Amino acid sequence: MRVNHVKLLVGGVQLRDGVTTVTDILGKIFTRAGLFAVAMEKGYASTIYGAHQFDPMLVTEEPPVSYGDPEVDVLVALDYDSNPDAPEQPNRDTVLRHGGKLRDGGVLVYDSSTGEIPTGALEARGIQVFPIPARRIAQSELKREIVKNVVMTGALFRLLQFDSDEAYLRQLLEERFLRKGREVVDLNLQAARRGRQEVERVLEANGYQLPVRLEPRPGRHRAVYISGNECLGLGAIAGGVRFYAGYPITPASSILEFMEQWLPKYGGRALQGQNERESIRAALGAALAGVRSMVGSSGPGISLKVEEFGVSGATETPVIVVDAQRAGPSTGMPTRPEQGDLNLVIGGGHGDFPRIVLAPGTVEECYTLMLEACELSDKYQCPVFFLTDLNLSEGKKTVLEDVFRRPQVVRHGIVREEDVRAKPYRRFEVTPSGISPRSVPGTPGAIFKASGAEHDEFGFVSIDPRKRAAMVEKRMRKLDTYLQEDWKPPQVFGSVRGNPVVVGWGNTRPVLEEARLFLQRRGVPVALVHFTHVFPLHRRKLEALFADAGPVVVVEQNFSGQFADLLQRELRIATRRVNKYNGVPLYPTEVAEAVLQALQREGAVVRIGGDSQPVPVEVGRNEHEGD
Amino acid sequence: MNTKGIKLWEENAVPKHRIQWCPGCGDFGVLAALKQALTELEVMPHELLLVGGIGCSGQIRNYLNGNAFHGTHGGALAYGLGAKMANPDLKVICLAGDGDTFAIGVENFVHVCRRDPDMVLLVMNNGVYGLTKGQDSPTAGLGQPDERGSREEHPPMVDALLLALASEATFVAQSFSGDVKHTARMIVEAIQHPGFAFINDFSPCVTYNRFNTYDWFRERVEHVPEDHDPSDRDAAWRLVREFARRGKIPLGVVYRNPRPKRPQRRLPLWEDELSGVDLEPVLATYR
Ligand code: SF4
Repeated sequence: MRVNHVKLLVGGVQLRDGVTTVTDILGKIFTRAGLFAVAMEKGYASTIYGAHQFDPMLVTEEPPVSYGDPEVDVLVALDYDSNPDAPEQPNRDTVLRHGGKLRDGGVLVYDSSTGEIPTGALEARGIQVFPIPARRIAQSELKREIVKNVVMTGALFRLLQFDSDEAYLRQLLEERFLRKGREVVDLNLQAARRGRQEVERVLEANGYQLPVRLEPRPGRHRAVYISGNECLGLGAIAGGVRFYAGYPITPASSILEFMEQWLPKYGGRALQGQNERESIRAALGAALAGVRSMVGSSGPGISLKVEEFGVSGATETPVIVVDAQRAGPSTGMPTRPEQGDLNLVIGGGHGDFPRIVLAPGTVEECYTLMLEACELSDKYQCPVFFLTDLNLSEGKKTVLEDVFRRPQVVRHGIVREEDVRAKPYRRFEVTPSGISPRSVPGTPGAIFKASGAEHDEFGFVSIDPRKRAAMVEKRMRKLDTYLQEDWKPPQVFGSVRGNPVVVGWGNTRPVLEEARLFLQRRGVPVALVHFTHVFPLHRRKLEALFADAGPVVVVEQNFSGQFADLLQRELRIATRRVNKYNGVPLYPTEVAEAVLQALQREGAVVRIGGDSQPVPVEVGRNEHEGD
Repeated sequence: MNTKGIKLWEENAVPKHRIQWCPGCGDFGVLAALKQALTELEVMPHELLLVGGIGCSGQIRNYLNGNAFHGTHGGALAYGLGAKMANPDLKVICLAGDGDTFAIGVENFVHVCRRDPDMVLLVMNNGVYGLTKGQDSPTAGLGQPDERGSREEHPPMVDALLLALASEATFVAQSFSGDVKHTARMIVEAIQHPGFAFINDFSPCVTYNRFNTYDWFRERVEHVPEDHDPSDRDAAWRLVREFARRGKIPLGVVYRNPRPKRPQRRLPLWEDELSGVDLEPVLATYR
């Protein structure tokens, strides 16, 4: 029996079956029990009701490297209305879609309220099947359909041999429901107990030996169960952001919700813009008034904001732009991850202006890197982009609380009344660093005229060729200063010298780390070079890093290899590429195999899940959003 | 007039002889009126944020003292909104043209009317895009209703006052920059209004609009009658329609009905206000 290492997958009908309600409860309880839960592979649809939804979760004793491969030990199917005559009904989706991911000897538990599903093929692989009539129990015995998921949760806990004294579940239920009355808590506990009993019944009837177990490790550390978007929101608050604006868009809406809930408690304000442009313009206005400001959106919204990037660059008004990337182009796949916006944020907008692009590699870095973003935007007075993706933004995991250190906020270069008495104030003064003094409107003696039209040092419009050249150079010089003073080199895992080098950026790091370990175990020593400071790149330092490297394989989640192009352009090195763009997150084993393939020949481009046979058109059949 | 006060407004500004408007442009009248109004209210330039639109009229931000910002075409109101939300002590005045406000920026106009931030929008309305040499704006066609509407290329004009009323604006006034004193009066009342104040100022473009000239306006402007109740939205709507039927142009406050406001504080921005905040209340909800 395996202890404290289990991968679960909970699936059901979106909105109806409460898939993430269940996984959120699980994640929270496992975290309280001192274990590590990672649910980063969110599978949901942009239609609201009726589509298939699933949420895999890895639970471990020690912090896992990544969320692991797609194979699961325990499959939990919340969908109940099985109808053998209509095989594409959403009801049996969880088993149909994910049964193949179950490991031999794994566990399937499903809601059998409307009949049992033929599972002979799974049982032939030694899979233990637990049909639990959860909805029927909830409806007819407990008279409350809503507790059907608690029946399943109780069943799952029994299958994991976890919380046998109900202590964790009871505490959570009391926190949530005690204000509604003791009866509500008791009803839920009763539901969980019924789930346990049902499992007992099947265990006895079949003589099953359960393959996995979770043992609590309480009191080891303080931890929270939290998403990337929540962490970056928290980072923004800690880093001094007090104005946030966003327009509803998946998967950035949860940042807006977080900010609406918490910013006012820290004296700030969150604005739901009437459109993407109002959001960023209002944020620029607030920044102009001296307040640290941030906007968040995803690809389509970022495209709409592009014009304002230039305004931020030219008027030297700082703003943090979070881009929670999703699969593009156009509407694309709103609920699927991709790293397809790099070109947009490094190139979007007319003309040349300074900008910085950061991309956190983990949920933890959503917090720590955001602290950097806050300082960088303030110091360099330019747009700072913060690239996550759908899985990093919406995915949740157990995060140790030492991560959340509270920084000393430093305001950079803001002149006060006494300063301008000592030295006349020129808002766009040409300086060696490129950074000019800034004032907050309302400061006597420090009037400024800021404009997106080219201007002189005071901010008055000017097309004088010498002033223009000086002003462009001054603004762009800020990037040299950034590279010297604040750019962080990529993290290097393993030794680059003479070895093949896997390169990645942003949210893929845990998977790439795990893929590297797989390769190492197979006797292929590769290094991993992972970037969080993505643009601009420090050419000299990187040339030194790659000087004696073996073949370079850039792994990213887009079709063209946007970061590989950047690296190739900046460093003039040849890259091989591994790309995945089918909307499914990267997995360690497939990456390891793709890297091996890419190492076989120069200029290789390996497409994971791509280069496939033509897919026949299935007219009238619902698109499978899952998988 | 207080000439010493007026002089203050010429500091930190483009010198008069370098102003780049055509001689006779209506925007000169607005500039004079703005300085008069700010002098009368004893506003200090450092408390002021002038947000200019794109176009001839938006240049005005650099022609007088005060902090200024100038971003994208159609964006002035949204920048102003953010600045005002961040610091309620700022006096924010947005100064834009009719193309900027009613074409590319109409989304902001409609929604900022609804949001009602305590700031002023003065539109220098001349029916054309002057800076790009005279193309029609959405307010083109004033006084020539028959010429428009038969083709998609030339739709009927946007009635700025009715659009503002329909968008729940709480202060709607109209002025004519040929009457500097009255324009200044409107600006004073707009600044004093505790909410979003919109002034539609007819500001003739002497170069590209040869139809709506100073004389054309002088023959048609009429002050809002004394017995008009500006707090009555239906009356305001009727007044605008009735003037239009008579071929006349009302000058004055057409509508004024402030909403109750919740007081707002300046958002924290200094190091001592931001450092070492306690994240415990947030973290507790994720344990
Ligand atoms: S083109 Fe018209 S609006 Fe522009 S400055 Fe000349 S007169 Fe004024």
